Amino acid sequence: MKLTRLRVEQLRQFRQPLEISGFEPGLNVFTGPNEAGKSTLVAAIRAAFFERHRSKSVDDLQPWGDSSAAPTIELDFDLGGEPCRLTKRFLGRARCDLQLGARQFDGADAEDQLAELLGFQFAQKGSSKSEHWGIPGLLWITQGTAHSIAEPVSHAAGHLNRVLGQSLDHSLGEVASSRGDAILARVEAARNELLTPAGGRPRGPFADAESQVAALETRLAELDSAIASYCRQVDNLAALRREHRAEEAEQPWLGFRAQARDAAERLAAIQDVERDLTAARQQAGQFDERIRLLRQQLDTLARQEDDARRRHADAIEAARRADDARRQSAQWQARHADAARAADIARQALRLARQEDTRQQLAAQLATLRQQAADGAARLTEAEAAQAALRALQAQAAASRLDDADLTALRERQRKLDENRIRQSAAATRLQFALDDGRTIRIGDDPVSGNGERQLLEATRVALPGIGQLTITPGGADLARLAQAGIDLADAHAAHLARLGLDSLEAAEARQRAGQQLDFEVKAAAARLKDLAPRGLDALRNERDAQLARAADAQQALDRLPAAPDTPPPTIAEAEAAEDAARHAADTLAAQLARTQADAATAEAAHAAASREAAAAQAVLDAPGRADSVARARADLIDTQAAQGALTSRIEALARQIDAARPDLLRQDVERFTRSAELHEKRFAERRDALLRLDVELQTAGALGLDEQRAEVARDLAQAQRRRAELARRAGALDHLLGLLQARRKALTRRLQAPLKRHLDHYLHLLFPDASLEIDERLQPGALTRRGPDGSAGAETGPFDALSFGAREQMGVISRLAYADLLKEAGRPTLIILDDALVHSDAERLAQMKRVLFDAATRHQILLFSCHPECWRDLGVAPRAIANLRS
Amino acid sequence: MITLLHTADWQIGKLFGQFDPDDAALLAEARFAAIERLARLATDHRADAVLVAGDVFDAQGVTDRTVFRLFNAMAGYAGPWVMIPGNHDAGLAESVWTRAARLGAIPANVHVCLQPAPLVVAGLAILPAPLTQRITHADLTEWFASAETPVGLPRIGLAHGSVQGLLADGIDSSNPIAAGRAAQARLDYLALGDWHGTRRVDERCWYAGTPETDRHRANDSGQALLVRLAGPGALPEVTPVATGQYRWLSETIDLQVPTDLDAALERIDAFGPADVVQISVTGQTDLAGHRCLQDALARAGGKARSLSADLDALRLEPTDADIAALDADGYLGDVIAELGADLKARPDGPARDALALLAGFLADDRSAAR
Repeated sequence: MKLTRLRVEQLRQFRQPLEISGFEPGLNVFTGPNEAGKSTLVAAIRAAFFERHRSKSVDDLQPWGDSSAAPTIELDFDLGGEPCRLTKRFLGRARCDLQLGARQFDGADAEDQLAELLGFQFAQKGSSKSEHWGIPGLLWITQGTAHSIAEPVSHAAGHLNRVLGQSLDHSLGEVASSRGDAILARVEAARNELLTPAGGRPRGPFADAESQVAALETRLAELDSAIASYCRQVDNLAALRREHRAEEAEQPWLGFRAQARDAAERLAAIQDVERDLTAARQQAGQFDERIRLLRQQLDTLARQEDDARRRHADAIEAARRADDARRQSAQWQARHADAARAADIARQALRLARQEDTRQQLAAQLATLRQQAADGAARLTEAEAAQAALRALQAQAAASRLDDADLTALRERQRKLDENRIRQSAAATRLQFALDDGRTIRIGDDPVSGNGERQLLEATRVALPGIGQLTITPGGADLARLAQAGIDLADAHAAHLARLGLDSLEAAEARQRAGQQLDFEVKAAAARLKDLAPRGLDALRNERDAQLARAADAQQALDRLPAAPDTPPPTIAEAEAAEDAARHAADTLAAQLARTQADAATAEAAHAAASREAAAAQAVLDAPGRADSVARARADLIDTQAAQGALTSRIEALARQIDAARPDLLRQDVERFTRSAELHEKRFAERRDALLRLDVELQTAGALGLDEQRAEVARDLAQAQRRRAELARRAGALDHLLGLLQARRKALTRRLQAPLKRHLDHYLHLLFPDASLEIDERLQPGALTRRGPDGSAGAETGPFDALSFGAREQMGVISRLAYADLLKEAGRPTLIILDDALVHSDAERLAQMKRVLFDAATRHQILLFSCHPECWRDLGVAPRAIANLRS
Repeated sequence: MITLLHTADWQIGKLFGQFDPDDAALLAEARFAAIERLARLATDHRADAVLVAGDVFDAQGVTDRTVFRLFNAMAGYAGPWVMIPGNHDAGLAESVWTRAARLGAIPANVHVCLQPAPLVVAGLAILPAPLTQRITHADLTEWFASAETPVGLPRIGLAHGSVQGLLADGIDSSNPIAAGRAAQARLDYLALGDWHGTRRVDERCWYAGTPETDRHRANDSGQALLVRLAGPGALPEVTPVATGQYRWLSETIDLQVPTDLDAALERIDAFGPADVVQISVTGQTDLAGHRCLQDALARAGGKARSLSADLDALRLEPTDADIAALDADGYLGDVIAELGADLKARPDGPARDALALLAGFLADDRSAAR
């Protein structure tokens, strides 16, 4: 489709006719500032196609304030090589004429022809809206909508499917549907009211029906069970009533009661017998006791007689024993007197023997003491002598004692003297001489002859007889000093010796040796004294005095002894033995005597007691009335024993009677029958209570109207089940239908995707080399995959909606161009209108888009309206300013 | 001349679950109305007594309100009503009867016979055979023959059960009643209940049937019997009287040729507000016929008291004209063609409903577009 001429009149700002001719088959750029009329021209083209000429809602096309205007649009275009003309006048004298080559149409018919040709719809009433615009709505981009592609595509989808489907696969006779999508949407909506879109599970009214059925089924089951329980209770009630009536008539407990009474009477009778038996047994017991007492009484009386007899004999025997004891005691007394005398004699002899023995001992003691005293005196004398000697020696030793210090000092000084002399000699002038025999000289004052040597210590005169005299003076000053020292030493030595009373060192040495000898002797004398008197002389003296005193004592004791007997006594041992034997014999006899005397006393006392008892026993026997009571007791015993015999046979008879009657069993019978009666009565009462209870329960339950409730629930359930079945059936049918529709539509769409993508990629690669834009099953652009922003190999993918506004605008334009290509291939008319599109593209992208548009213009006519003429100068066509067109 | 009104099987408390709740409520209500009509009838014909042969209540467990309503509905006739329990309302140890007595709902002129003992009322000797168990296999009328009644009074039996040998074997063999019991027990008339249609057993023995029809298969129901006796020993004169409000119709429509449809539509359109209809449609029709039929059924559903239609046995056979009329192109047309093919292969398959639905959607769409 190529527009060749456009004429508008009485249309908004174009009150006067405006005619544009000379449209290029490709790009046509119209420019003008805002309000210049660009959008008005676009609106005019749209109204010419989309609005019914009869429409009353197009008054916005009228010039401002001119309600009588009849906006008119005239379009010349070329369609499939045929010249066509559309003339449309709105409002006032509404009219529509269409010329398609040789064919002429007018009115709605003309409009329908156009809609079919271009693929759009008319609004049922009011002005045309985007959902009616179909394919033109996609290709004619109004201001500011280029970026939005989803909505126009969805509005065009049905037409696209149809026209493209026809062209693509015509040979198979398959066609896209003009109403398919609307029906499909309704089917889907209807289906989704009943089933969940994803899982196909019941929802909405269908789910409600299901849950209602379930709830009612539960309720019905509850009621059924309640009714069943009620029926069971009713049956139970009937059974209980039958039993109750039967028992009420029969009253079985009465029989049991009678049986119990009978048994109780028999039991009472036998219990009387038992009481008799008990009484008889009690009496027999009393008889037994009585017999026992009587026997006891008789025994006692008999024992009293025996006792008296026995005690009499006992008394006689006691008297005899007392006599015996007395005789024996007298015998033992005589023997004891003899023994006591013999013991006295022996004791006297022993005393004498001991006296003599003492005398002898004292005499011996005295002699010893005297000897000892003499010895002590002798030793004392000797010791006194030793002491005197010691003292003399001690005095001598003290006199000759030389102090060790003195001796040491003397020896030292002597050594120094000797040393001094040697040094003098060494320093002295030596004068040796050898004189002829006979000749003498004088050295000093000393005449010398023969050979010899003199040491001269001082100037010495040597007189050589005959010759004169020589004075020889030794050299050296020391000699004089030595000499002086020697003199000093010798003086001190001499003084020391003098002080000590000695004349020489040798004498000192000798005195010291003599002192040492004396010390030794002193020690020896002291040891001798010690020997003689270890504890000193005074001890010796005291000892001697003590011995003398003891000797005097012994003498006195001896003197005090009685005179010695005339005959010498026996020895002590002999006397002691005799005395011991005599005393022992006496003691033995004394003990024996005491025993016999005690026996005699005891026998005497026993005799007295026995005599008294015998007398007492006899007194009892002799008591008055005793014989009567014995006779009475014997008679009583015989009577009682007879009565006892009779009672015993009565007891046996009673016991036999009781054994035969078995009272224990009778007692059990009573209990058994009583209990049976009670049991039946109790059961009867319980059943009566149960009946009452059941009656009340059933009355209560009956008032609930369970069967009626059940009928209601069953009715509701049947209704709910019917509804559920209906809904299930409808849901199943809708689901089936939807599945078929969707499958068919999808299959069709899939066939359209490939060619559309091919065209889309053609443009896309001009914009983004190697990029790829997906086409989804609704034929809408999906994810864009392209190289990363730095041009690297890593691809990035993002959904269409995530792209920037500018990029979406560009994608929107190229998508539409791709659809146009597709339509062109299908032999459909294409006209592309861009009203102020791509204003959000940067210079670089815009440049690419210009290449895209230029390329598309080689296949389609494109009308481009813009208020930025400077942007579109390089499209190879001359932009036409609207303002210029008006003039 | 003695006049009796013989009725039975009132089934009070029945709720008709197979219907929509609204319809069911009206049908349940109609049963009370039928009792009111019976009372009026008895009064109008100056009946000496009304005999009710069992199954007065549909169940033991009806509500107290229902019990009161029933006895109130009987107020239109002040003469004696003699009734026995049937199998639905057997005179058990605790039953709807004991409850009614406890509630004080039973008016003095209503004699409920819970014991098999002669009852003399209104110059009649009535021998009742009440059911005291839900099901018995003994003949409860056995004692009638040996029962002594005052001389000169007509002997009237009242029983509920199946007369032996009358009905097909296997049906209701419980609660048996010996054939010829009326003659054997020297009865002037034996009033029976249990069979919901009116039925003559012999010259002295009848089933009255239910006074208000309650099921589609009950023939000759919705009536009561006017029984006239000249005196003891005379043959009774028995006249059925209509008492029902609703006609229960069970129709089968077979569509074989296109003209069958017109006849069917005529029949369907003829149903009125007293009709309780059950329709079963068989044969086959095209899409247009199917639509017409459904429209007619929808119309009739609004007119009749109740209408239920079973179209499961009706085959849908769309014609080329049908398809063309749908005016569906593109993939929609493909889907219709596929459904049509599927329908031919499987007439009862999912395609039938799907195609009907799609046709409906297309028709709606088209009418909206117009």
